[in-house]
Amino acid sequence: MLDRLAGIVTAVSPTPLPVPGAGIFQSSYLLSISIWVPVLVAVGIALMPNPRGRYDTIIKQIAFFTNLGLMFIMFIAYNQFQAFLPNVQYEEKVTWLPSIGAVYHLGVDGPGILLLVLSGVIGIISVLASIGIRERVRSYFALLLLAQACITGAIAAHDLFVLVLFWSAATVPIALLVLGWGGPRREAAAWRLAAYWGAGSLVLVLAVMGIYVASGASSFDMDVALKSAVGPRAQVIVGAAVIIAAATRLPLFPFHGWARDLYSEAPIGVIVLVGGSATRLGAYLVLRLLVAAEPDGARLLSPLIAALAAVTVVYAAVAAMRAADLRHAGAYLALVPGGVTALGLAALTPLSITGSVLALFTGGMASALIASIFATVSDRAQTRSVALLRGIAPRMPKLAWLTVLAALGLLGVPMMASFTADLMTFFGAFKTQPVGAFAVAAGLALTAVALAVVIQRVMFGEPNPEAPAVSDASLGETWYLALLAGALLWVGLVPGGPKLPGTDTPLFDPGLLNVMVADVPEIAAPYTGAGP
Amino acid sequence: MKYATFVPEAMVVAGAVALVLIGRFRPAQRRRLRARLPAGAAVVLLVAFGVELYAGANVGSYFGGGLVQDRLALFAKAAGLLAAAVAIAVADWPSEESPALALAMTLLAVFGLMVTASAGDVVGVWAGLELAGAAGVGMLAVRRPDLGLRLLVLGGAASAMTLLGLAYVYATAGTADLLGIRQVLIGAAPTLPLALPVLLLLGALAFRAALTPAQVAAGPMLPPASPLSSGLVVGLVAAAALVATVKVAAALSPVSGVYSPYLEVVAALAMVGGGAAALGVRTPRARIAFLAAGQAGWVLAGVATHYRGGIGSAVFLLGSFAIAAMAGPAVMGATGLAEAALAGMGTLRPHRAAALALALLSLAGAPPLAGFFGEFAVGSALAQSGHFELLALGLLGTTFSVIAALGTLRVMFLQNPVDEARRGGAALPVWTRLSAAAAIALCVVIAGYGLLANPILSLATQGAEGLGLR
Repeated sequence: MLDRLAGIVTAVSPTPLPVPGAGIFQSSYLLSISIWVPVLVAVGIALMPNPRGRYDTIIKQIAFFTNLGLMFIMFIAYNQFQAFLPNVQYEEKVTWLPSIGAVYHLGVDGPGILLLVLSGVIGIISVLASIGIRERVRSYFALLLLAQACITGAIAAHDLFVLVLFWSAATVPIALLVLGWGGPRREAAAWRLAAYWGAGSLVLVLAVMGIYVASGASSFDMDVALKSAVGPRAQVIVGAAVIIAAATRLPLFPFHGWARDLYSEAPIGVIVLVGGSATRLGAYLVLRLLVAAEPDGARLLSPLIAALAAVTVVYAAVAAMRAADLRHAGAYLALVPGGVTALGLAALTPLSITGSVLALFTGGMASALIASIFATVSDRAQTRSVALLRGIAPRMPKLAWLTVLAALGLLGVPMMASFTADLMTFFGAFKTQPVGAFAVAAGLALTAVALAVVIQRVMFGEPNPEAPAVSDASLGETWYLALLAGALLWVGLVPGGPKLPGTDTPLFDPGLLNVMVADVPEIAAPYTGAGP
Repeated sequence: MKYATFVPEAMVVAGAVALVLIGRFRPAQRRRLRARLPAGAAVVLLVAFGVELYAGANVGSYFGGGLVQDRLALFAKAAGLLAAAVAIAVADWPSEESPALALAMTLLAVFGLMVTASAGDVVGVWAGLELAGAAGVGMLAVRRPDLGLRLLVLGGAASAMTLLGLAYVYATAGTADLLGIRQVLIGAAPTLPLALPVLLLLGALAFRAALTPAQVAAGPMLPPASPLSSGLVVGLVAAAALVATVKVAAALSPVSGVYSPYLEVVAALAMVGGGAAALGVRTPRARIAFLAAGQAGWVLAGVATHYRGGIGSAVFLLGSFAIAAMAGPAVMGATGLAEAALAGMGTLRPHRAAALALALLSLAGAPPLAGFFGEFAVGSALAQSGHFELLALGLLGTTFSVIAALGTLRVMFLQNPVDEARRGGAALPVWTRLSAAAAIALCVVIAGYGLLANPILSLATQGAEGLGLR
């Protein structure tokens, strides 16, 4: 298996051929459409008259079909993406603030297109998970669409100014969603989120300014700022700031303080959005601003990232095992995929980074699934107490099955998409970060124990006659949970991903990394002979 | 046609005089006339704004160098006119006493800002600033004579300090002309005798700009004042003081060593203190005042860089600051007195709630609004000049500010409307077509500032260039 995986990443990339699916959808503004259409729809929804909730259903349908359309666009974009071209694609470049060197520059490379697909899928699932919202429906869906637009914008940004803009802007709608529609401790959850993400944005701005100054203070465009020669000392300072900013979002220990409250108090649609795509931006940031841009800094800081990853996974497993609240347990378990992704980035080998890129997708799905399923179970069981909940599987068979699937997805067992990602990550990481890889693997083993303990107790233990009445998942809940689980299964069973017949961009294709790491010889070496 | 540049000033002064006369000779009982006064004043300001953009493009020196029309003047005057027009149109007039006098004082403050922006010498800077300050005192005194008196005394002290500082600078340089001062000081040593009066002068300007240290004295005056007068003091008078600071700092830039460290400290205190204080208060009007103080700190941080890019960015931010800080208190009307009074505003007054939300977030520096673009531009200038510690403190203040703004947004949009009886006498602002249109216009200006950032920042940078900065 290892040889086969190594073969994947050491094979010289083929010369790109015209993609049969290409040309189906042509637009020079594809990325702008995917960012600004949700914003316009959100403004439209916010301004739409809705006396006494008369048009609640229509508002939900508008949000759903907007996301459906966007997902369609993103799948087409993914299918038309030419994996082996040495440049960013779907590029848009408009002068914005020339006096400080800021450009409205959008574009995606391999990891970017993967995250866009993830964002599209998560967007539609988050709307489906929000169908049960009854209060202030107009505001809720307007904010949800704004949050989605911010996430898409941060993925598509190819200018540091644009990246900061969308990265920071995501905090406001998400915090308001938690404040307005969260559980009993929603205020604490929202303020913690705002404080941690605000602090992360602060550090990111400092990092961006550091890159700007170190690269000659002429441009925020990534093509200029990230390709300038920067001294190792500056790389380490900037890199440390990038790691802190990313750790507040992914999140990694000790910057995870917002995660427990948010995952346990936010409405499920918001949990899906945050766990699925918003948090993945953290790893994407490390990949883009550190691994692919500051090789010396990445090399020097990689033990730190590996240590943070290991501590995060072990801490999450232990905390989940000790949690007395089911939603808290889900929240802690949702931290685990982030740790695995960070390990892959810390290892700095082609195999581990390819694994990390795939883990952006699979980790997002697994985090969203585990946190949202524990939230749904606690809603349906009318209690969050692990002490009260016992042996409920016979009364909620659908949720029991989905919980088991979520656990398997989180652990990365064969046939789940996370298996491929975890395998590549660990095989790649054992070469260069053996201690970190061992610690993360031990953490995953602890996670398995935690999951076994929680699931055994809650689902299959002796039923508790004093527990409140339990009901199984509704049709809507089954749909969004099954979509998350189905995506993990599909990519696990068909690693080629959801591609049109004849197109050539499987999700974990190492060619997806070509553009991003082209300037880092030791990572990009297998591709040096690639195409034009 | 040489003096066509000053048509906007003439329109503003004529409007103010007409309003005073209307207030004096027309009985207040004439309701129709009363109702149309704000719309009329807003139209006068908007026409003046249009004329300023057209005629103000002609750069020149007038009245023997006493007044100059450069890009900085064009930018500051246009921003002041637009801010006042929007604030007047969006204000809740039933919660204002004596509309004619309130409008006249607002126009007078705009005129003060315009004089400061056009001043070619220190006398003009001082006169314009005092005019704007006096208008603020007059407007506060309409509702609360005691507060007006207090502001008059504090403002008088600030005025004396300003005058003393300017007099010493004049005595040192031998000329009152701002460009002349700059020429004389090139090559001069930054001595302690020069530093002390300069610090006195900048301290007075910081007070006028309602920066956080000064807010301790001036802050308590704002909540009981009328909404528009709060906006006037927090927005226009502060903007006039900041314009004066930009001009004085540019004139003193050859000896920047005498004021830069002081400006940096005040900027840091304002940025962090403004955000922290905004987090600590619950009254919406006080919160907006502290948010404005925090953003004024960013403007000052840009000035502290004392080079063209930094001051250009500070002027760019000043434009968005003036609009949001002036219109913010006006748009919330009497509900600014208590946080609970804002509950459900998003449902009951959606236009105003949206405008207030954007003004708050812009003052806090949240993306992607006007304030964010300005603060980012200042931030990049700070990074370029190596002021990373100031940048970090500013970002900390911005984080506090955004969290504070979120607190008010939560009450407006996520809490259900309370009974009118429980609003504590702070009734929701009335809905009029004018206020709704102005609220939408305010949203468009704050949200669109970033889209038009390139021409606006270019103009601001040309303004800094016009001051002779490199």
